[in-house]
Amino acid sequence: MIAHARHWSVMVASLAGAAVACKKAPPPPPPAAPPAVTFSVTGVTLGKAVVADRSVAQPLTTFGPKDTIYASVATVGTSASATMAALWTFQTGQTVFADTQAIAPQGPAHTEFHISKPSGWPVGKYKVTISLDGAPAGAQDFEVHR
Amino acid sequence: MTKPDDPMPDFSDVQGGSSSSAPPPATRTYTVKAGDSLSKIAKQIYGDANKWRAIYQANTDKIKNPDLIHPGQVLTIPPA
Repeated sequence: MIAHARHWSVMVASLAGAAVACKKAPPPPPPAAPPAVTFSVTGVTLGKAVVADRSVAQPLTTFGPKDTIYASVATVGTSASATMAALWTFQTGQTVFADTQAIAPQGPAHTEFHISKPSGWPVGKYKVTISLDGAPAGAQDFEVHR
Repeated sequence: MTKPDDPMPDFSDVQGGSSSSAPPPATRTYTVKAGDSLSKIAKQIYGDANKWRAIYQANTDKIKNPDLIHPGQVLTIPPA
């Protein structure tokens, strides 16, 4: 009986030692650097106007029924040819407008999409979804109030 | 706020556009929207509606009748 108990105590001590040994194992090597991204979207900003470089000076997420709504898409990187698309949708999922812009950026850039509705926007929630060569690249929600 | 039982809003008069600080690719493309015509596209892209024929000639494989283009068609836009 005593020998049996001693046997278990040795096993427990060995396991504890193994656990400690695991904790003290050298840290794994740092992960390999991710592949360089050649061109990507870094942000989508909404506003009522854009400046010369197509960026929005005054970001907004709430608009009035008669506003022209701009979505400025910031990108980094280069591409010989890329197609950026904007899909504007209403809260029901209904498509409001869709547009594309072909670009060949050679560095940081802004691409703007804008929509207006002479008869006035219905009050509610909207979304603009940006894709880059068919792949989702960003989205921004906004609302139209009276 | 639109209620669930409200009729679907009409977005047929929505107007839109786009531009970029990045240069266009050597060959641009344009996706036809409802209400577009070749002259309207030429006016928008080149600032000259009379240049519609250049767009037509670059897309004769897609456009059989220059008076008939369809939303969703992707047209090649030759350099101005």
